Amino acid sequence: MAYSEKVIEHYENPRNVGTLDKNDEHVGTGLVGAPACGDVMRLQIKVSDAGVIEDAKFKTFGCGSAIASSSLATEWLKGKTIDEAEQIKNSMIAEELHLPPVKIHCSVLAEDAIKSAIADFRSKQAAKKALAGQ
Amino acid sequence: MIDPFQTLGVEARFDLDPDELARRHRDLSRALHPDRYAGAPAAERRLSLSRAIEVNDAFRVLKDPIRRAEALLRRAGVPVGETAEPKPSPDLLMEMMERREELGDARRRKDLVAVRALTEAIRVREREVLASMGRQFAVSDPDSTKLAVVLPELGELRYLRRFLDEASAIEEELTT
Repeated sequence: MAYSEKVIEHYENPRNVGTLDKNDEHVGTGLVGAPACGDVMRLQIKVSDAGVIEDAKFKTFGCGSAIASSSLATEWLKGKTIDEAEQIKNSMIAEELHLPPVKIHCSVLAEDAIKSAIADFRSKQAAKKALAGQ
Repeated sequence: MIDPFQTLGVEARFDLDPDELARRHRDLSRALHPDRYAGAPAAERRLSLSRAIEVNDAFRVLKDPIRRAEALLRRAGVPVGETAEPKPSPDLLMEMMERREELGDARRRKDLVAVRALTEAIRVREREVLASMGRQFAVSDPDSTKLAVVLPELGELRYLRRFLDEASAIEEELTT
């Protein structure tokens, strides 16, 4: 199957590959996978006290489209507020990368990873508040 | 989709005897060999050829435990594939992420010993998962959607296979 130029570009030069400290209270980690293809994707965000995503990193073991989807997601996340980040939809990723129908699930995985990273960050913040309120 | 068990004329079960499977494939391939149809009418030649292709496809499916499991599930009416299967457990994802990163580190260090040790550990896991799936398929009604209980292990098997494919590519790269 032919990959689009944008997928190849992200695959060959993935942005923001790496790890953030998952124990940092400012960091939210999302870990998701697609059982039908054995892909695993980790996406992390670092959020400032003002609620802005200062940094985003990913690591994906999977096909070119899965790598490109998560790479693009980290690019889009940087500089956004948490609320803005939540508005990122898989269809936007699929459109930007010209993903064919059989690869749409890769963009779904990236959206899941974003949501899961945000949920992790929020649960850390809630736990911190609960602790402070004691 | 054609039922590969029916095509090869073997019982629809997960624990297939690999020798019997190979024997059925060989016998059918011989019977359908183009040489036998050299003097036959064109329609019959075409039919035997397309049957031979079906037989080869079915053999490839049934030889592979992942595709064999998928074929059993489809027969029983359990949807398989993207979006139809349950999400992998967080523990499995965490573990596979860690193992794949260790494999990547071993590759960078050109540490063949580490690559082989990681491979062996995953092979052991693969055998355990296969054995457990065999037990689950054996006790379940083969035509019931209750077979869906094997889906998490099928997912795990695909993760292990991915790891092993990657590991064998790295091993080849490091030994040549």
